[in-house]
Amino acid sequence: MTDASTTRIPVTVLTGYLGAGKTTLLNRILTEDHGKRYAVIVNEFGEIGIDNDLVVGADEEVFEMNNGCVCCTVRGDLIRVVSGLMKRKGGFDAIIVETTGLADPGPVAQTFFVDDDVRARTRLDSVTTVVDAKHLPLRLADSKEAVEQIAFADQILLNKTDLVTPAELKAVEAQIRRINPLAPIHYTQRSAVPLDAILGRGGFDLDRITELEPEFLNPAHGEAGHVHDEHCDDHGHDHHHHDHHDHAAHDHVAEAGIRGVSLTFEKPLDGIKVTNWLNQLLQDKGPDILRAKGILDVKGESRRLVFQAVHMILEGDFQREWKAGEPRYSRMVFIGRDLDEAALKAGFEGCVA
Amino acid sequence: MTFDFDAYVTAAHFDRAGRTMFALGDGSVRALTAEGFITVEAHRGAVLSACLHPSGLGLITGGDDGRVVWTRVEGGEIAASLLAEVKGRWIDAVAASAESGLIAFAAGRDLHVRDSKDPAFARTFTHEKSVADVAFDPKGRRIATATYNGAALWYARIADQKPQLLKWAGSHVLVLWSPDGRFLMSAMQENQLHGWKVADDKNLRMGGYPAKVKSLAFLSNGLMMATSGANGAVIWPFAGATGPMGKDAAEIGYDASALVVRVAGTPNGSVLAAGLDDGRVWAADLKSGRIEHLKAEKGAAISALAVSLDGSRLAWGDEDGGAGVLETGL
Repeated sequence: MTDASTTRIPVTVLTGYLGAGKTTLLNRILTEDHGKRYAVIVNEFGEIGIDNDLVVGADEEVFEMNNGCVCCTVRGDLIRVVSGLMKRKGGFDAIIVETTGLADPGPVAQTFFVDDDVRARTRLDSVTTVVDAKHLPLRLADSKEAVEQIAFADQILLNKTDLVTPAELKAVEAQIRRINPLAPIHYTQRSAVPLDAILGRGGFDLDRITELEPEFLNPAHGEAGHVHDEHCDDHGHDHHHHDHHDHAAHDHVAEAGIRGVSLTFEKPLDGIKVTNWLNQLLQDKGPDILRAKGILDVKGESRRLVFQAVHMILEGDFQREWKAGEPRYSRMVFIGRDLDEAALKAGFEGCVA
Repeated sequence: MTFDFDAYVTAAHFDRAGRTMFALGDGSVRALTAEGFITVEAHRGAVLSACLHPSGLGLITGGDDGRVVWTRVEGGEIAASLLAEVKGRWIDAVAASAESGLIAFAAGRDLHVRDSKDPAFARTFTHEKSVADVAFDPKGRRIATATYNGAALWYARIADQKPQLLKWAGSHVLVLWSPDGRFLMSAMQENQLHGWKVADDKNLRMGGYPAKVKSLAFLSNGLMMATSGANGAVIWPFAGATGPMGKDAAEIGYDASALVVRVAGTPNGSVLAAGLDDGRVWAADLKSGRIEHLKAEKGAAISALAVSLDGSRLAWGDEDGGAGVLETGL
């Protein structure tokens, strides 16, 4: 059809608690010399001082959809604002949505999958969560939203690293990893990060699911069992350091019950069985499963089956060929609330061909 | 006659003088003349909504600059005047009543009312959630708003009041009264229509649409309502005491390769026009069943459509700025 319908405008969602550094990051994105024009959607009571031509206030109205899916909520204001913005032909190249500190990122993300018009014109590039290294343990202890924002993230800016000791930083990293083992962490001060590292991620793009290497398979820096690789510049590790903050907050994260579960299986799967199982799982547990991703080895198929899910919204497709000599495996990562790892494992392995 | 406006066409209308006007995503309003068109930069951003002025002359537009502007041609000159402004808000919907002379518009959660004959008159009615659309009843005395979990009915002139709420779970995005005022119809965020019999609050559920319903139009003196949201134009019968309750819709102009995204018709006649998501436009006479494929070239999705009162002309606009006026031959 037309150009407008084939080039979808990328959307970056910025979440994070008040004071974490979201607005600083937003202004960095807007003021850096990249020649791109952004439309910025902010909460109507949001922080002021955004330097941009096109700033739209939104109400953060979360609407339930009448489609029999209890977790299927969307941001009604975003649907309206995005369709209004599309009337400004060629006025901008990308959209940034800044949420309030208390926002649940779920409805924001789902808006870009549930509404056909929004989906036809935009593409969710990432949910980027900014967290404050100093105050995150407290936030995780007192706020369910802070946990959800990390759980939903495609990438995390661990900001204000200059305000904590190396040991505190390790503890915070470990907390993040327990909740979200997939999102890369950018360590920043004053939200300074190269923009090409955080924009254009394709965080919901099936083609970009190249590998799933959950970080919790590798214990965090400074924790027992951590395997050093070229990415670790910290060799002054302290295996026995324990931080009181860390312990206290861990318990609260446990109360929120959100964590990541990674499952790997070496035997080829039955394509129909695994599809049915995933559909049923998301139907039953969708409200509790925030994000899921997977790469699957399906018997009789030379290509990798990849999927990603936001609550009950599941997208899957065959992707590239397995390469000759490449070890074949199936791996799924679920990030969710009160996940029953044993049941997930049994269901997954029950899909063996 | 076709034009390339290079901006999203938000609305097309024929005014009472038969003049064709377009409102665009670049904030301009264009009025057609014998020589071409004349342009007014009515808004600093995009035009989001448009309707005819209560006088029948010219267009009222709502913009993402918070302004409500009346643009008309007077003595060969184009004129624009600011009717209202809500700073920092988008004007998502506008409506006007020729019967009462009132103008209504939505800005965020507020419904605003103005009187075209009394500049001092102003009312503001606040909702719990944003207002997506506004519509006057046939007498212009009551205003319906589309909002989350239903529609609200307000008496346009009364300052302090509680609205009558017509409830139905979900997000309502369009509202339209039947010409006899008995039914209020709404299109929802989901692929379905809803309706209420206003007198007794009875619900009409009208589902089965493959796509979102973005456009509603009554025709044939209120005996029929046409909607978009399917591969053909969907026609609901409104004859009889219960309207479309328990009745089936008809679909005309079915084409598996495209969806109807805009409909327009003659309120007192049987001409119906449809704009498709692949840029084509057709018009039909529902009495004779004749369909004229008036714009067969494909292009950007049709975003604006209007039929003149006598059904002889049709104006269309698309998402990329293509627009035109055609004789329907009906």
